[in-house]
Amino acid sequence: MNAREQILADVQNALHRTSDAPVAAISASARIAPRTPDDANAEMNMLFEEIGKLGGATGRVKKNEIKAALEKLVKEQEVKKATLWNTGELEELGIAQILTELGVQLVSPLADKRAMAECDLGVTGVDYAFPETGTLMLRALPDKPRAVSLLPRVHLAIVSPSALRADLGPAFAEVRGDNYWIFITGPSRTADIELTVTIGVHGAKALYVWQVI
Amino acid sequence: MSQIPTHINFRTNVKNVPPHMPVSVRKATSKFLGTRQAVVDVVGDERWQALRQAGHEIRLHSLTHMDHYLTRLEEKVRAAGGIVHWARDAAEAKQIVLELAKERGVKRAVKVKSMATEEIGLNHALQENGISVLETDLGEFIIQLAGVGPSHIIVPAVHLTKEGIAELFTQKLGVDAPPDPLKLCAIARTRLREEFLSADLGISGANFMVAETGTLVIVTNEGNGRMCTTLPPLHIAVVGIDKVVPDWESVNVLLKLLPRSATGQKMSAYTSFITGPRRSNEEGGPKEFHLVLLDNGRTRIMKDEVTRETLLCIRCGVCLNVCPVYNNVGGHAYGFAYSGPIGAMLSTQLLGMKTAADLPFASSLCGACAEFCPVKIPIPEILLRLRHRAVEGDQIERAAAPAVIQAGVKLGTLSFSLPWLYEFGTQMLKYIQAPLRKNGWLPNLPPPANRWTMARPLPAFGADFRAWFRKRKNERQR
Amino acid sequence: MTTKAQLFITCLGENFFSDTLKDMVRVLERLGVQCEMPEGQTCCGQPFFNSGFQSGALAPARQFIKVFGKTDGYIVAPSGSCVDFVRHHYRELFPEGTPEHARVKELVPRTFEFCEFLLNVLKMTDVGAVFPHKVTYHASCHLLRGLGLREEPKKLLRAVKGLELVPLNEEETCCGFGGVFSVVYPEVSKTMMETKLDNIQASGAEYIIAGDPGCLMNIAGGLRKVGSPIRALHLISVLAAQ
Repeated sequence: MNAREQILADVQNALHRTSDAPVAAISASARIAPRTPDDANAEMNMLFEEIGKLGGATGRVKKNEIKAALEKLVKEQEVKKATLWNTGELEELGIAQILTELGVQLVSPLADKRAMAECDLGVTGVDYAFPETGTLMLRALPDKPRAVSLLPRVHLAIVSPSALRADLGPAFAEVRGDNYWIFITGPSRTADIELTVTIGVHGAKALYVWQVI
Repeated sequence: MSQIPTHINFRTNVKNVPPHMPVSVRKATSKFLGTRQAVVDVVGDERWQALRQAGHEIRLHSLTHMDHYLTRLEEKVRAAGGIVHWARDAAEAKQIVLELAKERGVKRAVKVKSMATEEIGLNHALQENGISVLETDLGEFIIQLAGVGPSHIIVPAVHLTKEGIAELFTQKLGVDAPPDPLKLCAIARTRLREEFLSADLGISGANFMVAETGTLVIVTNEGNGRMCTTLPPLHIAVVGIDKVVPDWESVNVLLKLLPRSATGQKMSAYTSFITGPRRSNEEGGPKEFHLVLLDNGRTRIMKDEVTRETLLCIRCGVCLNVCPVYNNVGGHAYGFAYSGPIGAMLSTQLLGMKTAADLPFASSLCGACAEFCPVKIPIPEILLRLRHRAVEGDQIERAAAPAVIQAGVKLGTLSFSLPWLYEFGTQMLKYIQAPLRKNGWLPNLPPPANRWTMARPLPAFGADFRAWFRKRKNERQR
Repeated sequence: MTTKAQLFITCLGENFFSDTLKDMVRVLERLGVQCEMPEGQTCCGQPFFNSGFQSGALAPARQFIKVFGKTDGYIVAPSGSCVDFVRHHYRELFPEGTPEHARVKELVPRTFEFCEFLLNVLKMTDVGAVFPHKVTYHASCHLLRGLGLREEPKKLLRAVKGLELVPLNEEETCCGFGGVFSVVYPEVSKTMMETKLDNIQASGAEYIIAGDPGCLMNIAGGLRKVGSPIRALHLISVLAAQ
């Protein structure tokens, strides 16, 4: 018997089950009613509040003030190189163009990992957001490379109200065919040394989340 | 930890616990419990209890239908382009990883914190074969440098002070390391960054495996988990078969329980959801994905209907935080990767009674762990069952207790079933104790009773209630 | 009809807490309860069971069933731990199909720990006790988590005239007794006890009150060893004071 057959047989013996044994339905008490959402504005406030508690910087930015906001961020974080998702959403906001105008060197999100690691800033959209926990969910697709939110020192995520979901369930249902996604809840952190919370270990040291209004 | 123990002597281990250990441990656990309480309060007790019940039922359902869900998981991982391996024991698992690594000429591996790979001693095996393995969770990185095992499931370096870590970094990394968590963290970041970029293998475990879609869920805070499972071209996950869950609704519930119970976070900083290797070159991620499904004693644990609930565990570590025994001894006293109440249950069953019969007794059965467990594992009941196995044996294992003790106990039970002998005994004790008695106390008793009096005196034996009650009754009847 | 209490005096109670047992009789009689002491009782069997000798627990448990099975009325014990054992483990020791099973099913619902008996059966909170002292309360693990009595013992204490109940830091943390645990790992038991003593001493109380003989033996012994003036007392003895 190979390992696979042996393990499955051992499992079945231990459980007194056979291969064709029926699978009981999962009981109703193992399911939890989803959280009831508030209106979109309150939900966005909650999201921002939770991210703020974790050390993220949140804000609502008017469309015509994006440049000013980016300029401030670039200065604050001394951004020299940046990379961003290739999505229509970010293109429409003109982020790449503004960054170039601000003298930031743009690196293709398809560049190799070492080039990505040299970026100071990575700009992404947000596919789903969960206000209760302050969580952003980012999918991984050809125009949304994983490394953009991972390797740069600073992560800027642009979130819109359409991304808000009251609970995880609906988002899971919508993306379950994907091969990868990530939840990001605040900047990277550790408490491994004397339980002192330290922000910015391996992932982003700073997280900015903006809603463009 | 690279050594799998052959005998664990808890009492000796306790005697070797350095005096600062309980202090550091308690500082950490009380902080965790405080933040946990705060986030549980936000959820509200009623909903929290409903979540715990749901968590329990989900995990029990997964466990009692494990063959079904494992088969489904395998099918889905394959369909996503991943390769599934099955390992009966530690040796098989290590062999699989080693062969995969050798075939691809792997020289450097980076690892996400994983209890399963601690359990099988994977690092040791890879290093012996010339493959460098680096732990990348900060706590694991520190204990790897220190050459010791984890002292807590969630914060493995909880026993070390910032001064100790600074000294360790200075010595082992050859850098000037000040005793400042922020600076130490920065040193580790710089050091590990290069390793992430140059590694040709990323090794992880998983918190959950979702059978419905073949997805691994990995919960981390530092971002090292994302690095290890995104940057190297090869990702191997070694996961205990007990980690399988049916579907996404289950994950939804469990992700509400795990971070809150573990670190008091509403959600950990990064939770990765991985189904097979990358689908497009553009998105990035590993080209190859392998899943090693590890048994290593789990199917044996499943045979006992009571103790099998050990496998409901989601490794949050809250049972350690609330355990008064753990808080006083720290993780190393348990002699294996798993410590605290979960260690007392799991290590005992994984390693067997010959090695670990001490552990189920390393509990005062106070029950605090069961009160906090997010998936409602009846921990004291399982420990009692394991004590029984250790002493009298059961259908899983023969007893490890010596026959002479067995005989002694038989004699003891006799006096409890013969009331005249029992009552005679209670009166005799009052006379026997006389030479040792001082002011109503017995300060020093001979072995083995000195195991009590070494800590505190015993009140003097003084059974007189029966006589008092009978006399009173007689007087009243008259 | 008068309420009848069949006293289950327990092995630790009998050997080390005679005064508590007498106080139990005094309080119950004061409340009009008729007390009986079934002859032939020994121990519930828990010490064997918790040491892993589950077959060793059978004989004492059978003795308990034999003695108390013949009685009528309620069975009342001054120990949460023993009641927890009878209530939650006798069905496991004597499953369906064993000759004792029916007796167990009959016995368990009428077996009560003292606080439970006062509050839930007699529906009494104020038993007319007077105890003009500053006290603090340690929650015994099996009383608390085994029987689920979290607020009840404190409710009884608060109803005592003149008594001032001060909080105990880590009230619900085990004192380190743990039955067989205390002699298997005496070093750990000792440090747990010492933590408990530190908290008791910091509370500023004159008395530490608990509802289980095991914890009281441990805590009283610890206080004795460090020469503390604080006294450990069973809850029953506080309720008996007038």
